[in-house]
Amino acid sequence: MVFEKIREIIAEQLGVDADAIALETNFRTELKADSLDLFQIINDIEEAYDITIENAEEINTVGEAVNYVEANKK
Amino acid sequence: MMKGNKICEILDIQYPIIQGGMAWISDGNLAAAVSNAGGLGTIAAGNAPPDVVRGMIHTAKSLTDKPFAVNIMLMSPFVSEVVDVVIEEKIAAVTTGAGSPSAFAARFKEAGIKLIPVVPAVAIAKRMEKLGADIIICEGMEAGGHIGKLTTMALTPQIVDAVSVPVIAAGGIADGRGMAAAFMLGAQGVQIGTRFLVANECTAHENYKAKVLKAKEIDTEITGMTTGHPVRQIRNKFTKTFNEIEAEENKKEEPNMARLDELLAGSLRLAAIDGDVDNGSVMAGQISGLVMAEQTAAEIIQEIMDKYNELTTGGCC
Repeated sequence: MVFEKIREIIAEQLGVDADAIALETNFRTELKADSLDLFQIINDIEEAYDITIENAEEINTVGEAVNYVEANKK
Repeated sequence: MMKGNKICEILDIQYPIIQGGMAWISDGNLAAAVSNAGGLGTIAAGNAPPDVVRGMIHTAKSLTDKPFAVNIMLMSPFVSEVVDVVIEEKIAAVTTGAGSPSAFAARFKEAGIKLIPVVPAVAIAKRMEKLGADIIICEGMEAGGHIGKLTTMALTPQIVDAVSVPVIAAGGIADGRGMAAAFMLGAQGVQIGTRFLVANECTAHENYKAKVLKAKEIDTEITGMTTGHPVRQIRNKFTKTFNEIEAEENKKEEPNMARLDELLAGSLRLAAIDGDVDNGSVMAGQISGLVMAEQTAAEIIQEIMDKYNELTTGGCC
């Protein structure tokens, strides 16, 4: 569930095909997201789940974002 | 102090005019002059080692008892040592660029240092507010040096609407008209770089100042659009070479863009300190064409405030 939602956010922000995004996909090296894209994605995820992601800079892969949300969502 | 102005209240300054941090250019002399004139001067740490930054801070302290800021370039190899210096020296405010100050935000707060990140987009502004930023500087691509993609006109009201902390507009502002326009967009302060670059108290090389004074509105260009580090500077032999190398690297299967960043780092010093404005990088904003005369920081601030007051008091119509 969380993965599907996050995948949708990423696909929309980066204009990539959702099917091309897997848990192990790296934001920077594989999806070519720059820091601004990442901030936007983190903001959208925070708003979608009403959470605050601490140390957003440490998130490198889609799976890490999913794990963070699963551990912290209300 | 400008009545009811949040920037003046937070920073304890007379006018909500912040002098932009300019690496190799804005040192303790310029920062102190701007602060003495009622604005907020800024020492740029750039890539300088911590003892050099401390030296600039001591110079400023010997010239003013007013608050001033240090601009910390977060990609500096000395960033954590520079943060230590700023905290030890009890600087009033820190402006940050080129990254996220998240690793240091808690320490600034604890030390009572106001955190003022410079941002190029709404998402980053929101992030910085969550991090505890006291003020946000919203910088449009009209600015000189490292820039984002949006204009001050479009970016300012969108950031003002997105955050609850006060916003300072930057990029393309050099006089009271620009300041009034920024306030109409919802900003409560302005950051000005290029005009202070030619201040009498600025120690940048006279050739650099002459280049800015001579520049027309069309004379700046952006290099590095494809490297991920776009920079606005005055067109010269250096930008031509840079563009050629950039194009050449882009034709390769594995472009080496680091080559360009290295070229740029040394070139700013070459222009600002050594005065080689042909082979060095003369970073300056689009508003260079409006900057016509070398004046003292106090004259610059007074002129800006006089025009601003003329335009905003009594209202129009």
